Parts: sequence; structure tokens; C-alpha cells
Amino acid sequence: MLHNTKCECGHQNPVGTVLCESCGKPLDDEFGTAPLEMRYDGIARRSQRENPALIDRVWRFFSSVKVAIILIFLTLCASIMGTIYPQENTFLNVDPSVYYEATYGFSGKLYYLLGLSDTYGSWWYKLLLIMIGSSLIICSLDRVLPLYRALSKQQIRKHMSFLVRQRVVYQGQLPATGITAVSFIDGLVPLLKKRGYRVHSDGTALLAEKHRFSRWGPYINHIGLIIFLLAVLMRGLPGWSMDQYTGFLEGVPTQIENTPYYLENEKFTVEYYTEEELPEEFRGQGRAVPKLFQTKAILYECTADCSSDKPDLKQVHQQNIEVNKPLKYKDLLAYQFDFRQTIQIRAVNVSLTDKMSNQTYGPFELNTITPDETYVEGPYVLTLKDYYPEFALNDKGVPFTNSKSPLAPAFIFVIQGPGLAEDGEVFIYFPRDVDKQRFSQDKLNAGIVDKIDIGVGSMQDVSISRFTSYLNIRTDRALPYIFFGGIIFMIGVIMGIYWQHRRIWIRIDDENEITIGAHTSKNWFGIRKELSVILGKAGIVVEPKQLENGVKQA
Amino acid sequence: MSLNKRYKRWVQVTILIAIFIVGGFTLADNLFSDDSIPKEGSKAPEFSLPGLDDQQYQLSNYKGKIVVANFWGTYCPPCVSEMPLIQNYYEKYKDKNVQFLAINENDPLVSIKAFIRQYKLTLPVVLDKDVVRREYGVMNYPTTVFINENGKIEMIYEGEMDEPFLSSTLADMTSN
Repeated sequence: MLHNTKCECGHQNPVGTVLCESCGKPLDDEFGTAPLEMRYDGIARRSQRENPALIDRVWRFFSSVKVAIILIFLTLCASIMGTIYPQENTFLNVDPSVYYEATYGFSGKLYYLLGLSDTYGSWWYKLLLIMIGSSLIICSLDRVLPLYRALSKQQIRKHMSFLVRQRVVYQGQLPATGITAVSFIDGLVPLLKKRGYRVHSDGTALLAEKHRFSRWGPYINHIGLIIFLLAVLMRGLPGWSMDQYTGFLEGVPTQIENTPYYLENEKFTVEYYTEEELPEEFRGQGRAVPKLFQTKAILYECTADCSSDKPDLKQVHQQNIEVNKPLKYKDLLAYQFDFRQTIQIRAVNVSLTDKMSNQTYGPFELNTITPDETYVEGPYVLTLKDYYPEFALNDKGVPFTNSKSPLAPAFIFVIQGPGLAEDGEVFIYFPRDVDKQRFSQDKLNAGIVDKIDIGVGSMQDVSISRFTSYLNIRTDRALPYIFFGGIIFMIGVIMGIYWQHRRIWIRIDDENEITIGAHTSKNWFGIRKELSVILGKAGIVVEPKQLENGVKQA
Repeated sequence: MSLNKRYKRWVQVTILIAIFIVGGFTLADNLFSDDSIPKEGSKAPEFSLPGLDDQQYQLSNYKGKIVVANFWGTYCPPCVSEMPLIQNYYEKYKDKNVQFLAINENDPLVSIKAFIRQYKLTLPVVLDKDVVRREYGVMNYPTTVFINENGKIEMIYEGEMDEPFLSSTLADMTSN
């Protein structure tokens, strides 16, 4: 199909043009009277071309606002679905294929099978984001470039039907006899300029325009969104994003997986509101309302022997972590997430006493998580032959450990030294008094117990880990770009919303007949009022309301 | 006009290619970077762990061999009770192209050494700190992963193995 797209003013318009790019004459509906659709100034979008090739069809698909709205709607629905049940990445040690069904029943199973348990990391969610991004870019380009072209070469004298079919219209005669068309126009120029308009005139016609830049607002906000989306996608690059949950036992530097960093929870504090501090309705119910979760954290960087039991650590940062006050170091963020009471002995500072001479050696540290193998104290050499974090005896009387947590630690030493057998003698040491009694340490150590004793001086020598603090460790290198995109977005929104692109066209025909058309991107009341004031100063009295197209002029 | 048109086409093609590359990369990364838990039939994730003998044990070095990786700890009673059986089969299959690896999780060195002495173990014990365990999605101990000659997971067995099971599984795998 071949359209004749040449306007009567001689301008060759692209296929799809609604209003002649040059004179503004309506091309489709030449004889109508309804106000014109001024969107994009009636220009043809880029994708509107004859004989589209495949690439044009793809382009046209993404340039459609309808498609964009559908995509945004789908993404919105998907995002909502993702909030129904907790997402997989919020669990520490859970097999999602079992968890959802076990916790939520059939709907949970369905949720997992549909892939909604990892909505935001799924390929189809990312595909939706990519398609929205494509749509943003293509929609914008398809409109902004022709619009820019159309606005940068506007004709001053517009077609009569373009003017009278604006939403703000005035038609009348020159205010006083004797005034010429040219001098009337000249008189208007300073009035319009005073109001901030840029004025172009060619004798008997005039174009006044202001705040054209507000038209670029939507496109700038789209650029912001595209930066935002790209930044979100960049999180997929290796090292750009990390989001994991790790437990940190008090006093034990623990490696943050896949990083050279170790974090030590030096002290965890949980404080509850006292009864007096609680609001009326909470009192007397025995409710524990937490006031503070705090992890006193020290961050170390591993310099050598990483991933061994004894890495070389260098302190790089120290900070108290509280809810919503994460630890920040370079790209690393550590948020307070959870805690658990895990009372256990972390280390004991023991001394060895030679009961014959009453000499005491030490103190030396026995670590309950990674104990050393040998200890040399004075003339004595202690070799740790075995160690049970939670000592127990099975039905055959064979010792074993119930768990890997040092809840009932037992150290089995072979001690060599003065007064002892040459190969050494076995000494079993239970740091906890309860265990000493329960497993009758003195009986087990019969023989050696008269010569040697191992013990702590006071509770000062026992280090106890009372809490495990769970932290959410994050890295988000994309965050500054996300903020940057957000700022650009806001600038675009403000440009487009706060300012209005206003244009006033005036032409005088037959030396007497004034026709005025005006257009604004929004706030029609404002432009009518402004035009009425300007015309009033030029000697034409007209109420703002009368300027509205279709309202009879007095 | 024709120059203008060619320019437009150039812009379109560039933008579509850029979208295709960025989108393709993101999706491919999402689809193929398989950080999900390996299942029977999937490729066994590579690992390299230090042994108690200070050697490094790397899975890919055993290509062409059957690997039996047993995740265990001295704190896990069924692990302890199946260990003599594993040791027994380690001896039996030592020269039959089967590599046993006892992957210990988080035990203190002292405890492992004492355990090895107590049970007279000679099979290679390697030390893991939840890294390989998480990669393999092991939730319970003991878990034994049977990896075939091509590096694919043939079977994942949770819980204590008994002799008939271990014997028939190894017989099946070695006869193929």
C-alpha cells in the first residue's frame, strides 16, 4: 500500500504521520472538528514503515506501549507471587524440594514446582526484566528522535485547521482600528518574552514556546530506569553480588565463604524491654519484646594459611552491628539477621599442678573447637591423644561424641615428665565440674591423679560462648549504579511533572483576523489563564474559560 | 533520505544486538551456571581438599576411576558404625579402579587422628569445612556419593550403608 504522504504545504512526511511535520495540517482526518490528538506532535514513530522486515517487526513489537504495559503487568504479578512464601535464599540449611511441601502442603509443593520459590532469580523473571528494558529503550528511541526533529524545526505559520482544532483557541479581530497586523504581533513579543517564552515571528504569524525541555523528562526517566535495570542485571556478574547467611559463634573468627575475610562475633547482646518500658497493652503478659540485638564484630582479612585451622588474620575493621545498622567494609555488608543461645565452653585457661612439689605450671589455653596437639609446660609435655566435644559412653563403654558442639568437652592427654612413666601416663580432663562428677574423672585418672592435676583457677579462666549471631552477609557492587539510575529517574520525573511545555501559535489573516491556538503538555487551566492575561495586556479582553475550544466566545 | 534510512537501520541493529548480548549473557548465566544441588545423573562438582596426610585430593584427578565420597564426622554415630565397612571395601577395591574418600566435616584434627588410630583406618581422609558439603547439598550424615568413571553422580545414599548395599552397588558400577 502506497500512501501519498506529501502535505499541501509541500512537506514530505514519513509514513504514519498524523499532523504535517511542517504546517501541522491534520493528514488523516482533514475535515474533522474535534480537538487534535497532539501526542508526540502527530509525528510518525520510527517503526511505522512500509514493508517491514523481520528486524522491523521485532522493533515494532517492543516499541508498542501496549506491549510495555503488558510486560510491566506480568512482572508485577510475578513479583507479587514471589512474596507469597519465603524465597529459597532466605533459608540456611534447607532442601527446598522437601521444605515447601512439608511446611505449606500441596500449595507449597505447587509453589516449588512452578519455580516460584526462587522467583527473582529465575530465568523467566530475568527475561521479563530484559524485555521491559528492551521495551524502554525502543519505545523511547522510537518517539524521542522524531519528536526532537519535529520540535527543532517547527514552522511558525501553522495550518488554519491545526490552530482551530487545538484545545485552547481564540479567534477574533484586531483590538483597535489603525493597528497593523505586524505591529500587533510586534507588540505581543515583549509580553510573551516577559512570561518566559521564546518567541519566533515572521511578520503576521508568531510562535511562542517555553519549557520545551520538560518534554525530555520521560525519556530521561527512561534512561534512569535502563541504568537501574542494567545495574540489577550486573549483579549476575561474578563477584558483583553475594547474599548469604552465616552463624558466628561468640569469640570464634569464622570465615565468610568465598572471601578472604573472617568475622569474629566478639560479644553478642540481646536486651529486652522492661515491664515499665512496654506499652500498656503489652504489660503483664510475660512477653519478651527485644529492644536491642547487637553483635560486636571484628573483621579480619586472611593473609596466609587461609582455610586451615590457624589462618593468619589481620584486623581490618571493627564495628557494632545492630538491626538496620550493618557492618560496612569496602564492598562487604553484614546485617544482623538472627541469634541463638548456644552456651558452650570456647576455651579454658588451665594450669598443671605437680602435687608432689606443689609446683604449678601454666596457665595454658585449651581450645574446645580446634585444640592444639601438644603443650609444653615446665618439665611436662602434654600430648592431646583424643578429644571429644560432647563426651559420652556407648553401651559397650566406648567413648564417643554426641555432637560437634563443645557441650561436655573431654581432653585425653598423655603426660610425660618427672615422676611419670617414660611413655607417659593418661590423664582425662573434663573442664566442666558436672562432667567431672558424672564420668568420675578421679577414678578414670586413678594412679596419675595423686601426682598431677589439671584445672582452672577460677571462672575467669573459662571463656564461654553464650550466643551464635546469624548475619546476612552481602556484597552489592551494583548499588551505586542502582542509586545513580534512581537519581536520573527522579530528575526525569521532576522535569516532566513540574514543568510544562507550552506553545502559542498566532496568525493574522486578511490584516484583521486573529487566530490563536495554544497547547501545553498539561495544566490547561494555567495556559488559558496565561494567554488571557497576555491578550488582556494587548487589548483583547477574553475570559480564560472562553479560550477553551468549544466554549462560546462572548 | 536513503542515507538517513541506512543510519536508522544501523541504530536499530546495534541496539537489538546489544540487547541480545546483554540479555543472552544474563539468561545463559542463569540457566547454565548450575548452582543447584547436584542430583543422581548430574556432573559431580569439582573439589580439591587437603588430606590428613597433607596431600591435596582433587576429584578431577580420578577421572576414569569410580569415586566413593563419604561425608562423615566422629560426632555422627551411624558414620562411626559404617566406617569399618568402608575401610574393608577400600581394601577390597583398592586395586579395582575405585577410589574411596572419607570427607570429614568440621571435626577437630585431634579427634580425627584418634578416631583413625582407634579404627585402624588406612583410607584417605580429607578435611572439609562445609564448603564441599554445601556444594553437594549434603544435609544429613552419613551421605555417600558414588561417582562413575565419567565424573557423573551415579548414586547418592543417605544414612548408614550395610554390606549388601555397598557390595552390590560397587559390583554394578565396576561391571559396567
